[in-house]
Amino acid sequence: MTALAISNVVLWIAVLALLFVVLALVRQIGVLHERIAPAGALMLNRGLTVGERAPMIDVEDLEGRPLRLGAPREDGRSTLLVFVSPTCPVCKSLLPVIRSGRKDEQDWLDVVLASDGDLEEQRRFASEQGLDGVPYVVSTPLGLGYQVSRLPFAALVDSAGVLRARGLVNSREHLESLFEAQRLGVASLQEYFASRA
Amino acid sequence: MWLDPVFGALIAISFAVLFASAAAHKWRSLRIFEEAFAAYALLPQIPKLHLVWVVPLSETAVALGLLARPTRASAALAGALLLLGYAGAIALNLHRGRRDIACGCGGPDQRRPIAGWMAWRNLVLALLLGMAIWPSSGRPITGMDSATIAFGVAAATVVYLCFDRLGQLTTRARALQGSP
Repeated sequence: MTALAISNVVLWIAVLALLFVVLALVRQIGVLHERIAPAGALMLNRGLTVGERAPMIDVEDLEGRPLRLGAPREDGRSTLLVFVSPTCPVCKSLLPVIRSGRKDEQDWLDVVLASDGDLEEQRRFASEQGLDGVPYVVSTPLGLGYQVSRLPFAALVDSAGVLRARGLVNSREHLESLFEAQRLGVASLQEYFASRA
Repeated sequence: MWLDPVFGALIAISFAVLFASAAAHKWRSLRIFEEAFAAYALLPQIPKLHLVWVVPLSETAVALGLLARPTRASAALAGALLLLGYAGAIALNLHRGRRDIACGCGGPDQRRPIAGWMAWRNLVLALLLGMAIWPSSGRPITGMDSATIAFGVAAATVVYLCFDRLGQLTTRARALQGSP
């Protein structure tokens, strides 16, 4: 009887130890879930508010084609403005992502690259990076209008000329988070998760 | 047929711990719980009548009642009804399509939206607690019985915590997939 009692207690302790291990593992799964949650484009506190009208600015691209950015469009297409610079290394690594994103979303989205500074340097940069075919705009008022403080910065403007998403984009995930934010009708993926957490 | 007193005590003490912790969370931040309670929109809002304290008060009463032998059966019945009431309130609001209201459970720092699994959980808990209404046999409790009850309560608490966390994870995983 004593042996049975001792074995019973030992078994209870083993069960409790295993249960605590399970609890610790469940907590770890929770931590992992937080880590793998998609990271949205970084929202900067300053600047335009999502849902506002985007500033309407007339510009010309490197090939001299006039563009009216931020204006309502009749063809129902949205415009993604990506602010880059030849002196920004992250921008260079992001260009292939922008090119493939442009191809994937071509049925509803036009991509416009924007920069400011020396025109010749910009032309060299565009041809080096194989940006032929992508409208490339050099305009200081555009950067000021969208209150761009850091690069690479992207702003998504819908066909009505309303700013739908914006943020600092460092990766494909960040860029896609802007499309996702527009699709879900939220200002950022951070806002989406905050509303559901 | 009588219920063995070990099972009776095990169920009663485990649920006393559950109700006491639930009540303690609500007493600590009654104002936050009041918002959650109002969001359930079960009763017509009467501003002068603050009915919110009824919930933690009943939970405290159930927890204390479960611990004393003479009041155990009636406290178990009240607790089971309370749990069924919560399950009904959650199910009703889910049926109304209000998935984003806070459940009012798990303490003030956790704003957890209500979910279907919570209604099922409360239903299962109510059934378990219902077993404690059954009268126990008068067998005296031995030292080994006490050890079984103590270990059993600890195990039941950890199992509950595991299921609770897994439930939250499922809600979070669904949010990641984008479905409600």
